[in-house]
Amino acid sequence: MEQTLNQIFNLVTDPYTGIAAWKERLQKKVVGCMPMHLPEELVHAAGLQPVVLWRSNEPVTLGHAHVYTFNCGLTRSVVDDAVKGKLAVLDGIITYDLCLQARELPFIINRNAPPAYLETVYIPGPVTAPVYKDFLLENFRNLKASLEKFSGQTMTQDALRQSIALYNRQRGLLRQLYALRRQTPGLIRAKEMLAIVQSGMLMPKEEHIPLLENLIAELPKRTVSSGKKARVVLSGCMCQTPRFDLLDLIEEEGMAVIDDEIYVGGRYFFHDVAETGDPLEALAERYLNRTIPCPTKVDWTNHWGDYLVDWVGQQKAQGVVTLLVKFCPPHLCYYPDVKKRLANANIPEVMLEVEHEVVSLEQVRTRLQAFVEEIR
Amino acid sequence: MPEIYAGIDVGSLCTKVVILDAGRNVLSSHILRSGGHYQGAAEAAFSGALESAGLRIKEISFLVSTGYGRARVTFSDTHVTEITCHARGAKHLFPHVHTVIDIGGQDSKVIYVNDEGRPKNFVMNDKCAAGTGRFLEVMAGALEVSLQEMAELSFHAQGESEVSNMCTVFAESEVISLLAQGTEKADIAAAIFRSIARRITGLVGKLGLKEPVVMTGGVAKNPGMVRALEEKLRTTLLIPPEPQIMGAYGAALIAAEQSD
Repeated sequence: MEQTLNQIFNLVTDPYTGIAAWKERLQKKVVGCMPMHLPEELVHAAGLQPVVLWRSNEPVTLGHAHVYTFNCGLTRSVVDDAVKGKLAVLDGIITYDLCLQARELPFIINRNAPPAYLETVYIPGPVTAPVYKDFLLENFRNLKASLEKFSGQTMTQDALRQSIALYNRQRGLLRQLYALRRQTPGLIRAKEMLAIVQSGMLMPKEEHIPLLENLIAELPKRTVSSGKKARVVLSGCMCQTPRFDLLDLIEEEGMAVIDDEIYVGGRYFFHDVAETGDPLEALAERYLNRTIPCPTKVDWTNHWGDYLVDWVGQQKAQGVVTLLVKFCPPHLCYYPDVKKRLANANIPEVMLEVEHEVVSLEQVRTRLQAFVEEIR
Repeated sequence: MPEIYAGIDVGSLCTKVVILDAGRNVLSSHILRSGGHYQGAAEAAFSGALESAGLRIKEISFLVSTGYGRARVTFSDTHVTEITCHARGAKHLFPHVHTVIDIGGQDSKVIYVNDEGRPKNFVMNDKCAAGTGRFLEVMAGALEVSLQEMAELSFHAQGESEVSNMCTVFAESEVISLLAQGTEKADIAAAIFRSIARRITGLVGKLGLKEPVVMTGGVAKNPGMVRALEEKLRTTLLIPPEPQIMGAYGAALIAAEQSD
């Protein structure tokens, strides 16, 4: 098990080397996908290997000549990696209109470091009217045709169904791991859980599944300290993995993370894709019918704050730790409403900013310790 | 042997110690600059307070450390955040308090205290030192006056100068620029206090102002700052007799409760 976890941490701390290694071995073209809403299954079914774009572990330098310093860590980091040549491991990149900052990305990348394949998709925001399904399907069909052209391989319905089944299987295993953590808080550390989820975004699912099966078999054998911890859930953190030192601080200050609804976490595997009917429609339906509210693509009938209030109640959590990516306009836009709804429901909440750069951890520690003193 | 309790607040700028007797009366207090060695500052301040009270360390029944360097105080029984300690101290002196504004050397905090006297919500300044004691020190340095002189100057302001930058480094440049333009020091001093008051008002706005409001921390000793904040918040601030030791006082009160 320790070997599996080491493998996982090596991959998430240095995706460049890790991806290059399996790419060499599998001889597959690799396509980087913007996080959150792109259907990786489509890329996989075209005979390509999708990975989810990541935030690097080094300061942004050259990238700041091409992107504002007040962009989020992910977009700045992707541009920085692109202009430094670090994304050469990717044969292609797919972006979409995730937010205003993400909309700039294809232009910057195309001008400065174009990969062999660069595609942009449009994914509608409001999801309640039928016209949005037509629009989304049209975009998925275009993406399918574009991927087929790049891979030189026709995507059959069966191939897409198999990819969907594979991805559903991986999502199901991640759910099992999360259930283990809910049953025994502290069994899996917060940073381990997120590294496990992120590693699945950076390697073929076919190879990630055996790692998950190993962890599900082995992790319950761990001994967990019986000290009383405050039960908290993590919320927010769109698109990127929070800094691990921040997650460590949460636990060091006497909290046990029992669940999360962050992107590199519970959001990634929350919804399965139906394995019946037309597979392309099934991918569209998964997006359109999602129940976990997202500030990047908003359904006005489904309030994030209300969802959180219900979810926190189900989890019997004592508080919410909001991870807010610095300079993430969608999250910043919805955060005041979410905070208000949590406060109205008497749910304690503390917000930590997730930054790409080094943060003053001791000040964060004071806030976390004070939060624990407040909720105990 | 009567119970004696102590609180040590190791702040980023100053270390404060308060020693209480069993009746929660202050036996002694001590304040010194923290410097770069928190453990050493804690030991020195604690020795100073013990000496003033004529006590020895073994006579202390329970010791709580707080402040930025709280975890560095190896001889304390436990450590608690300064947020809880300031709220506790303010509540003891002003039983009806609902909002505590603590402006210390490096952090500024606004704490909401519920009817039971427990801190139920708080906000802190972001990572930078803007709107803190350190900011005031840098600005006083730029004006080449002491903090006390800066406060007195501000009461004689005639003009309406503004210091808009909340970054300490940029604000210092702005102050130097105003001096170069020939702006009166009194006007600049008043502008500096107003700029901090604006920032603190922003923090208060996140929680909502609930009166009565107590101001603690070393900056509460500065009448220029207190006046600017009262004007901006449109409220009267209740100031403890020695606001700088409120964190240590609260820590000592918590020590007494823990010992019970």
